[in-house]
Amino acid sequence: MPDTASSPTIAGARTPAPSLLLYVAVALVAGAVIALQLSVMRVFAVGSWTHFGSFVVSLAMLGFGLASAVMSLSSDWFVRRWRGVSATALIAMGPLMVSCHLIAQQVPFNPIFIVSDPAQKWNLLANFLLYFLPFLAGAMFIGTVFLKSTLIFGRVYFADLVGAGGAGILILLAMFVFPPADLISVPLLLWFAGGLAWLSWTASRRGLVWLVIAAVFSAIVHFALPGWLGIPSLSVSDYKGIAYAQKFPDATVVHDDVSPFGDLSIYSSSYLHFAPGLSDNAAFNIERMPDNAYLGLYIDGDGPGGIMRELPPEQTVYFRFLPHYYPYLLKEEPETFVVQFGGGISTAVALRSGAPAVTVAEANPAVLSAFRADAIRDFTGDLIDDPRLTIIPYEGRLFLASTEERFDIIDLSLADSVGLSSPGGFAVVEKYAYTVEAMRTYMGALADGGILSVTVWNKEDPPKSVLRLYATMAEAARQVDPDGVADSFFVSANYLSTATVLYKRGGFTPEEIAVLSDHTYALSFDEIYSPGFVVENADPTVLDQYREMIFGTGEADPVLAAPAGDPLLGVPDDPLLDPLLDFGAPGPAVLPATMVGRLAWQALVADEWDGFSERYVFDVEPLTNNRPYFAAYVRPGDLPKTLDRLELFQDDWGYLAVWATLAVAGVTALALLFLPLIFGWRTIFSRYPGKFGVLLYFACLGIGYMLVEVGMIAKFVLALANPTISAAVLITGMLIFSGLGSLVSERFLDRSRRVMPPIFVAIGVILIGYGLLLDPVLDAIGALPYVARLVLCILIIAPPAFLMGFPLPTAMAQLGLLRKESLFIWAWGVNGSFSVIGSAAIPVLATSFGLGAVLQFAGGAYLLALPAFFAVLLPLAPKLVRAPA
Amino acid sequence: MNRREFLAASSAVALAGVAAPFPALADVPKPYDWNAYPPMNTRENYIAWMVENRGEDPYYLGQHWDRYVVLVANRDLLDDRNKRAFLLVPREEFVLERNLSRAYEHAFLDIGYGVTISGPHLVGRMTTSLDVQFGEKVLEIGTGSGYQSAYLSNLTDKVWTIEIIAPLAARTRSVYDGLIARGYNEYTAISSKQADGYYGWEEAGPFDKIIVTCGIDHIPPPLLQQLRVGGTIVIPVGPPGAHHVLKVLKEQAADGSIRVSRTDIYDGRIVPFVPFTKLEGDQIVGDHNN
Repeated sequence: MPDTASSPTIAGARTPAPSLLLYVAVALVAGAVIALQLSVMRVFAVGSWTHFGSFVVSLAMLGFGLASAVMSLSSDWFVRRWRGVSATALIAMGPLMVSCHLIAQQVPFNPIFIVSDPAQKWNLLANFLLYFLPFLAGAMFIGTVFLKSTLIFGRVYFADLVGAGGAGILILLAMFVFPPADLISVPLLLWFAGGLAWLSWTASRRGLVWLVIAAVFSAIVHFALPGWLGIPSLSVSDYKGIAYAQKFPDATVVHDDVSPFGDLSIYSSSYLHFAPGLSDNAAFNIERMPDNAYLGLYIDGDGPGGIMRELPPEQTVYFRFLPHYYPYLLKEEPETFVVQFGGGISTAVALRSGAPAVTVAEANPAVLSAFRADAIRDFTGDLIDDPRLTIIPYEGRLFLASTEERFDIIDLSLADSVGLSSPGGFAVVEKYAYTVEAMRTYMGALADGGILSVTVWNKEDPPKSVLRLYATMAEAARQVDPDGVADSFFVSANYLSTATVLYKRGGFTPEEIAVLSDHTYALSFDEIYSPGFVVENADPTVLDQYREMIFGTGEADPVLAAPAGDPLLGVPDDPLLDPLLDFGAPGPAVLPATMVGRLAWQALVADEWDGFSERYVFDVEPLTNNRPYFAAYVRPGDLPKTLDRLELFQDDWGYLAVWATLAVAGVTALALLFLPLIFGWRTIFSRYPGKFGVLLYFACLGIGYMLVEVGMIAKFVLALANPTISAAVLITGMLIFSGLGSLVSERFLDRSRRVMPPIFVAIGVILIGYGLLLDPVLDAIGALPYVARLVLCILIIAPPAFLMGFPLPTAMAQLGLLRKESLFIWAWGVNGSFSVIGSAAIPVLATSFGLGAVLQFAGGAYLLALPAFFAVLLPLAPKLVRAPA
Repeated sequence: MNRREFLAASSAVALAGVAAPFPALADVPKPYDWNAYPPMNTRENYIAWMVENRGEDPYYLGQHWDRYVVLVANRDLLDDRNKRAFLLVPREEFVLERNLSRAYEHAFLDIGYGVTISGPHLVGRMTTSLDVQFGEKVLEIGTGSGYQSAYLSNLTDKVWTIEIIAPLAARTRSVYDGLIARGYNEYTAISSKQADGYYGWEEAGPFDKIIVTCGIDHIPPPLLQQLRVGGTIVIPVGPPGAHHVLKVLKEQAADGSIRVSRTDIYDGRIVPFVPFTKLEGDQIVGDHNN
């Protein structure tokens, strides 16, 4: 280490020497920014819907872009007034955090009405602007520090990354202590500590006094003001599932728990009724459904999922009318595996249907500990400790991949969906339990003649998710045994209720099919496929009709096209033109949704899925570990056509929101970038050679880094089985290793022309390689003990993260050495803005091309940065000489 | 002000289309008549008739008519009885004050408590599909704003409705009582209570038709039990503003067993979606975001 005498110092007079306090301050404030980002995300997850949180927060991060734009235009001013600016921005950040948050919680933004009510767009804008302000303050502080630290940038940047990374793990731990409404305490504490460090370093006594005043004010605003004014510090949408339970007159909370695995609460009320997918015929065969048989389980306010009371045997007759019961028609005393415990209905069905032993997996520790709580234990008759039950406390998929045990029945029924629709739409979430790879694992864990039974909700018309499930299971079966597909499946569905796919290892016998068909008839369900099934009155035009139904322009509509122009009189009498003219007469014998399901299986068995899916109105490709989404049904090419009919896609709003985020982020970020260019073209930037190279360089780094960080969070769920833990490990691991890289990079600054090219190539190769090879590796890691999994995951992250710590500080330091201050701070803003674009692009890339492609794009971005790096090294042109662009 | 002057003034206001709502008018001037149909040929005739017979505000009557025209064009109302029912129910009485200006928009609106009043198209479509005949007994699960039952009470004189959220049930009951006091006698046909709709209304059953307007993961067996053989249940499936409506028919098979069949409100016909605001009156005008 260089000694203090020769150590690089912050430029300018009256500047204290860099000390630990400076680095600690930067680390704490950077940590506060990340902690704020994560806690606001939690607020949205609990109060409304996650994807609206992503929209607001990722755009709020553009505060970094705006700060850099302003600072690059007047970098001299900021360098001169760095004390005042940094202290003001820093002191303001805390009060802004809490007051903007509190005001935002009072803005009546209701995502449900985002399409239909014009006022909601303004409320969304208000949310964005409010959350933008604290990030802007944080960015102004960090930007000013960076601007003053050009010569020791590598170390300051190290502090920045380590602080941000540490906050990732800190907020995860804090989630065990603070409910979502109070999670903002974490960024607040980090901010206060950072403020103390910074103002002590700058020896600003007045600043310290103001900081304490600001801290007291912030504490009052957050902890006392809501109580005094009678306003919520976190307002939960009236349309969240939990809001309904709270309105039931006899509702009581019997258990609640906050943890990183969700804000879990369990309600008791006589108004809660569950029987997911129950056959309508149960009404005529059961005297009375059991009363008060369920508790409602809510995670982050979403639900309910049903937790069933221990029922006396005479009341369990209705199990036979649930779709879960299908495999038990064929198996006596089956060894059973339940892939996800959830509310325990599948497990209860198994125990009541003769299974001598049931192995059940549940990856959410909060759910398991809820079932071990006294109130729930009493209610469920201590289900969790039933001697016939073996609990696997992690993902069933991972257990089955590594066990030698074989099962007669493997059940995955309505596992992680609460059944009712989510009014704000479903977020784009990885569903690794439903991929081709997972299905192969389940099929491989079946004993000879064993049955895999998968039930999902079938609430869509035109069908979407069920078709993806069909395609996924057929593909998995084909990979297991190319010739066995036709004989191995039995599929039934109930319109706008559920669909069940049964797969039998070795194929069904005709007798078994007869039993299943009779049961299907008795339940008034529709048979969709069985071996030898022939689609009667096959009508392939139904595929085109569905496209017309969703994306028709209305111009072919007989009424709209009526020449008379009088809609009251213009109905033509040709029944072919007007499908409703013969209303009242019987419609087609088979519902279109049922017909599509049958045609789908016809295509799957004949291995002609491509032809079917290309023609279908929605994207219904199978789920794979690379593209594990029950979302993104609208093909990108059809997106513009959704704009005048968004209400048709309400359940896909999570997906549409990611495109909207990308579009808004792209436009705003570019505007922020080019502002300095436009206003400073003659005065500032004309003197800087290679500015477009610099732009490209920092844009590639910004996009590339985010693609890796967030893309790997989604990927690592494969091994870590929990998105929250995956996020914490990735954020912390990536940022800390990159921080180390940044620290080490300082030593190579004078040799960067030689050292950097191989580093870029190494990053590119590693990332592209990871994109191609990581899936099976993570799958294998998933079978190991959890600590080993964590260690191995961190080892996988370390090499690219370490190397990815080099490019940014090296180039920033070079810009500093070359005295290009405006370009220096602009480059930092370019990086920040493109980070926002990168994070917004991830779900779009992942759903369109797969998660592997996200890493490959990132590798490409780093390779592209290699030639651009040399533009960074171009020396400052002498004044009055116009440099080539 | 005599009637002619009043009408002239009202029409002028209605045509101008920008006036503030009139202050609440007097009570319904004429008693409810099951055989009376408002004119369905022109806007002016409709408004004049409604002012004369129902004493309603021409400001809203104009909007009411305009939405009616779109509903008919969109084939959400297929018979005269349903057209009459739609035209006779003052939707503005069932929305929150802050949404008064949007009472006749196509969209569903918030009414508090996490509940919406469905858009007029969905109500028209669902109720038309239910094909309620005069004298039939109809049960509604999920009273909500009260608009749906008000509409039903123009089709039959026997309507029961249940709301689970107590304050909402009380609020809507007082809306009905207020309207009845003003002379909307048809709403006396509505019996309402606050209860868990899952168990239906056993004492009042069996019902010919049941309409469910809340989310469920299965059709409550008590409702299927309280449905007469040959009866129909309709249920919208999905989030508020959902476009799928499940229609359930309870039938007796040849062997005497009771069976249930599921279909949609178009009985399996695929009907193309037309963006509502492409159709404003007789004109196609852009999409609803513009």
